[in-house]
Amino acid sequence: MYIIVEDDPSVADALESLLSGAGLPVRVFASAEEFIHSASPAPDDTMIVDLGLPGMSGGELVRHLEKAGATPKVIAISGKSSRTIARETEGLADVKILRKPPAADWLEAITA
Amino acid sequence: MGELEDRRTAVSEARFESLLDTAADGVIVIDETGRMLVFNKICEQLFGYTSQEAIGQNVSLIMPPEFSVSHDRFMNNYHRTGERRIIGIGREVSGMHRDGTVFPLELSVGEAKTAEGRQYIGVLRDLRSRRAVEQRVSQLQAQVVHMTRLSAMDEMGAAMAHELNQPLTALLLYLQAVARQVRACHADAKPPSDKMLDVLDKAVLEAERASHIVQRMRQMVEKRDPERATVDLREVVNEALDLSEFVAQGATVTIRRVFGMTPIQVDADATQIQQIILNLLRNALEVAKESEERWVKVSIGSDDRSAFVSVTDSGPGFSEDVGKSLFRTFSTTKKSGMGLGLAISRAIAQNHGGDLMADPGGNGQGATFTLMLPMHHSDEAEEDTWG
Ligand SMILES: Nc1ncnc2c1ncn2[C@@H]1O[C@H](COP(=O)(O)OP(=O)(O)OP(=O)(O)O)[C@@H](O)[C@H]1O
Ligand SMILES: [Mg+2]
Repeated sequence: MYIIVEDDPSVADALESLLSGAGLPVRVFASAEEFIHSASPAPDDTMIVDLGLPGMSGGELVRHLEKAGATPKVIAISGKSSRTIARETEGLADVKILRKPPAADWLEAITA
Repeated sequence: MGELEDRRTAVSEARFESLLDTAADGVIVIDETGRMLVFNKICEQLFGYTSQEAIGQNVSLIMPPEFSVSHDRFMNNYHRTGERRIIGIGREVSGMHRDGTVFPLELSVGEAKTAEGRQYIGVLRDLRSRRAVEQRVSQLQAQVVHMTRLSAMDEMGAAMAHELNQPLTALLLYLQAVARQVRACHADAKPPSDKMLDVLDKAVLEAERASHIVQRMRQMVEKRDPERATVDLREVVNEALDLSEFVAQGATVTIRRVFGMTPIQVDADATQIQQIILNLLRNALEVAKESEERWVKVSIGSDDRSAFVSVTDSGPGFSEDVGKSLFRTFSTTKKSGMGLGLAISRAIAQNHGGDLMADPGGNGQGATFTLMLPMHHSDEAEEDTWG
């Protein structure tokens, strides 16, 4: 299962189009809170998390999942500067980062 | 005019002359026929004639030819009808130096009835230097307005990149999705599905969203001459607030708008007024962010003469000391501030015939900055009432 947590509806929808167009199973959440309340990730899930979520940030969400012992594959997406991204993902085990706007094919990057 | 007459007779001739020569303004006295009786030192400098040369000549000597003709007509007309065009009023006229240079003068005229008939006393002030200063100030102002716009843009740059990122990301992902599906259809020799068209439509919408953002930003940066128009102050302010909310997205300060239902018409350059609002808002947001309640209130109101926009925040207000230099350029209490925001804002307000006022707040009250602008009046009310 591919889990998208992104507050910008267009970006979420476009990402969903890309993944589901390739026949992959997708669920979309608009905030970290919404996701935590309604689902818990399985180890073979892939989470695509926007770092700049309002409320609980993407970084906090990933930390929260790590603490809870859940270990899905995590891909962080962000439009911020590399310095900000480094600060926001500090201490996170291994997170792949995709920067907005995309410079390459994201489907390949996500499924790789 | 009795007072002038008294003085004229009480002061001895010699004393009167020397008094006139210490005057900071040019003074000329003419009789009913326009003949000059007095021509003081300042006039000598202004016009390049000595008083001996000037006295006894017609006052048209120091006027550009096109004026001297109408001056005789004005005087005759006044003598006949008593209709005043300039006496007791003062206005801007043109003078002509001996060398032919024509220059602006402010002229006030008083009338004295003497034993020798009516005399007119003209007080003249050279407007050239003031004009030059005014021009310089408005040039500088235009430059600084442009600069603050740019430095506000600097700050906006990061926010804008972020904002453009979203539609661009969505756009590229939609296109990647379509490209994949088209390729897949191609491989299977199937026609493309309607679903792909949907995705393409969405891609177009995202491209439009991105270009709209660029267009709005461009409006803010482009340098241009002030353009006055009659506008609804509520709309102008609303747009500025929308823009700033958009830049401050995700910020935690609430902006409350307290607007009435009726349009508030002012004659103004909308972009410059928005510049003021953005400056006030930036200041307010900066302090509100650090406060407990985190709000900024923007209210608009009017009476029959003036329109008001007030920006109040939940911050701590400012001290008496800060208040003293608030509107001075380069006075700031911030590390990264230039101390230009309020100075520029006030200059723009005054240039519009309005003003910018500050209430320091304090004791748990935030500061309030109030922009005042004259209301637009339809033309009928004000016919020319000169003379
Ligand atoms: N809402 C406010 N509450 C308290 N103090 C204020 C407020 N607005 C302005 N001030 C004070 O007035 C000073 C001058 O403001 P001004 O906008 O002219 O310059 P600045 O904000 O410091 O810098 P700039 O606007 O050029 O970036 C500020 O440094 C601050 O001390
Ligand atoms: Mg400021």
